[in-house]
Amino acid sequence: MFRLRNSALAVLLAGYCLAQSSSQYVTPEIRRVGDKLACLCGACKNTVATCQMLECHYSLPARQRIAKMQKEGAADAVIVDDFVKREGKKALAEPPNEGFGIMALATPVLAIGAGLALIGWFLRRYRKPNAVPVMTDEEVQKYQDQIDKEFSKLD
Amino acid sequence: MENIGALAILLSFCLSIFAIVASLVGAWKKKPFLIVSAERAVICVWSLVTLASGLLIYALMVGDYRLAYVAAHSNKAMPMIYKFSAWWGGQEGSLLMWNFILATYALVVILQNRRKHREIMPYVTTTMMVTQAFFLMLIAFLVPPFQVLSTGGKAIVDVGDGQGLNPLLQYWTMVIHPPTLYLGYVGYIVPFAFALGSLITRQPGDSWIFTTRRWAIVTWLFQSTGILLGAGWAYSVLGWGGYWGWDPVENASFLPWLTSTAFLHSVTMQEKKGMMKVWNLVLVAATFFLCIFGTFLTRSGIVSSVHAFAQSPIGPYFVAFLTVTIAITILLILSRLDYLKSEAPLESVVSRESSFLFNNLILLASCFAILWGTLFPVISEAIAGEKISVDAPWFNRVNVPIGLALLFLTGVGPLLAWRRSTPDNLKRNFMWPTIGFVATVAILMGFGISHFYALLSLGLCTFVTWTIVSEFFKGTMAIRQKDGLSFVPAVIELTHRNTRRYGGYIVHMGIVMMFIGFSGAAFNKDTTVEVKVGDKFPLGRYEIKVSDIKMGQNENYIWQNAIVEATVDGKPFATLTPERRIYEKSQQPVSMVAIKRQLNEDLYINFAGMGSESQLPTIQAYVFPLVTWIWAGYWVLLFGSLICLVPAKIKMQYARTEVVGVSTKNVPATK
Repeated sequence: MFRLRNSALAVLLAGYCLAQSSSQYVTPEIRRVGDKLACLCGACKNTVATCQMLECHYSLPARQRIAKMQKEGAADAVIVDDFVKREGKKALAEPPNEGFGIMALATPVLAIGAGLALIGWFLRRYRKPNAVPVMTDEEVQKYQDQIDKEFSKLD
Repeated sequence: MENIGALAILLSFCLSIFAIVASLVGAWKKKPFLIVSAERAVICVWSLVTLASGLLIYALMVGDYRLAYVAAHSNKAMPMIYKFSAWWGGQEGSLLMWNFILATYALVVILQNRRKHREIMPYVTTTMMVTQAFFLMLIAFLVPPFQVLSTGGKAIVDVGDGQGLNPLLQYWTMVIHPPTLYLGYVGYIVPFAFALGSLITRQPGDSWIFTTRRWAIVTWLFQSTGILLGAGWAYSVLGWGGYWGWDPVENASFLPWLTSTAFLHSVTMQEKKGMMKVWNLVLVAATFFLCIFGTFLTRSGIVSSVHAFAQSPIGPYFVAFLTVTIAITILLILSRLDYLKSEAPLESVVSRESSFLFNNLILLASCFAILWGTLFPVISEAIAGEKISVDAPWFNRVNVPIGLALLFLTGVGPLLAWRRSTPDNLKRNFMWPTIGFVATVAILMGFGISHFYALLSLGLCTFVTWTIVSEFFKGTMAIRQKDGLSFVPAVIELTHRNTRRYGGYIVHMGIVMMFIGFSGAAFNKDTTVEVKVGDKFPLGRYEIKVSDIKMGQNENYIWQNAIVEATVDGKPFATLTPERRIYEKSQQPVSMVAIKRQLNEDLYINFAGMGSESQLPTIQAYVFPLVTWIWAGYWVLLFGSLICLVPAKIKMQYARTEVVGVSTKNVPATK
């Protein structure tokens, strides 16, 4: 089946180096929990579920641990808590909604609010002022009457 | 050779300092010979940096393994093209390339403006040479590219062969991605230098904008190309099909792109209405500083990234440079506020002008959110004492709604009139695009699609496409009626009359196509299986079979590939050959995925190797719907950007809105 065209050394070395562990596969159950956990390999910004780096030293053991705990009947939250206990809050893929973590989402929202306020200020500051009437309605009426009178004379 | 290279860098550093001093003294004392002397020093700096770059490239090509840089980033087995690209494969070499590109830009600016802008040129030269001196200082004293290998600091050692370039970088897009991105990064200094020069000399009017408009578009185009090449590389090389991973270094390249995109839009307000002068300066400055910040982020080691260079001592110098230059820029802007006052009022909230404001807000919000997310782990560690991860799910949660809002504004902008839109005008312009949006969403829901963001995105793509097409159609019909041209010549004539406007619409069309591609990510499918040779497994509408495994080696790497046959409904569809490589020097495995690209979806196969227990081929198979639209969108964006660079047939004269009923404090200062 294998067609080997080059040296035996290449076969041995390649066979050794190219071998993969089957334990890296992501089942839907592992994906469900793994999506909540950050891959802490330091080389990617993916989650434990989505890290596809070959032989990742963090996500592969993490998936194995998730699978093991799921086999033992642990709930998703328990598994996530277990990771947080071991690694700290950095184990979570997204900042938690508590403590300083709230700032992660709140700050961009506040920034957009500040931006809208700035636009509001800009619009008020640079909007063309409405025209201000320079005479009263009575004065306008007086001139209108005058015009009508003069036009009637023309007739 | 190493001595000549090091001396060239040292001399160019000294000459850049001379250029700064001569320019400033020449401008201050009104001594033209000093200003000209500074400009000649810039030419000398370029010559010396080019010499140093040439020497390093030569050393890489011939394999001078006495040099630490060559030994670390090249080896004998590498193809010549990758030996060349090793120039920017490491910290020292890439900084030398930074310097080379900057010196080249400075040279072009000097040559272009020998008889123009004489009042501001000393300050343009100063700004560029301050940056040049900073980057030359880094490679002259902190991370020298010509350092030799030695034993105990005495005898020079030739190690005979090097470690080779990182195997992940031995891919064709990596030969052009870094230089293209650097051309974008470094290029932003030109608009920034002209803006500062104009600010210092209080130039009347908006001359710096007209002078640097083309520079800004070219630089933006390089930046866009660099980002897309990086995305293409990640998609084709990393083996998991992602084209964007919110990695800190990816983010660093995206941040200045966002601010420069905001600038390219808001600059229209200054050209047409004399508004947003301070804001445009802030955007140009922010873009430049974000480029320097991105360079710092990549090289300082403050954030971990697969793309980052090794940790080096240059971080604090970047912080100092950024602090000083930002402070000077802020002081300059604050001291010139009277000269930067708006010339016209805003007449209505529902107007094209307002849409530019909101466009800028959205772009800046995205920029801020990405910057915040990138730095949040560092900030949380510094403030709360605990590192908190911010990974791809957070970036997607924040940026997907922002991106969709931006897409919506892309469609709304052309529908609004300058100055003021009336209700009738709004009703007439919005009716058909909105019907298009609703119809698209309804049809997609009819096909069973329920993903909220995908529906919204694809609906908005129809909305924006409608507005763009109708803009072209209305203009074309008017020209046909007036000039009696047939349809295609009329479209060309229309575009030629206002290349920036219609080129811009084409760029928007490219962005729409990219959004179609991004929307496809909601429907990705994947599976990872160990299969016997000859066995089949299903994925989506495909049946996939590994029909053979082959192995071999060349002088650079050992390879093993799988022959994978895909069928659809029993009919042969494609034969793909994904490959795994082990590079001999680094012993690093690399995947060469095989992709069958189609307009509706990509079939993407990664050969992950042989299962360690089962010894069966391990195949990762993916279906990525609509990804091709991203790359196609880039070509449309490129085409539109090039059209923007073509001089318009009709020179636009924008009558500034008459200032009526506004107090004198809103009237621009005249000098």
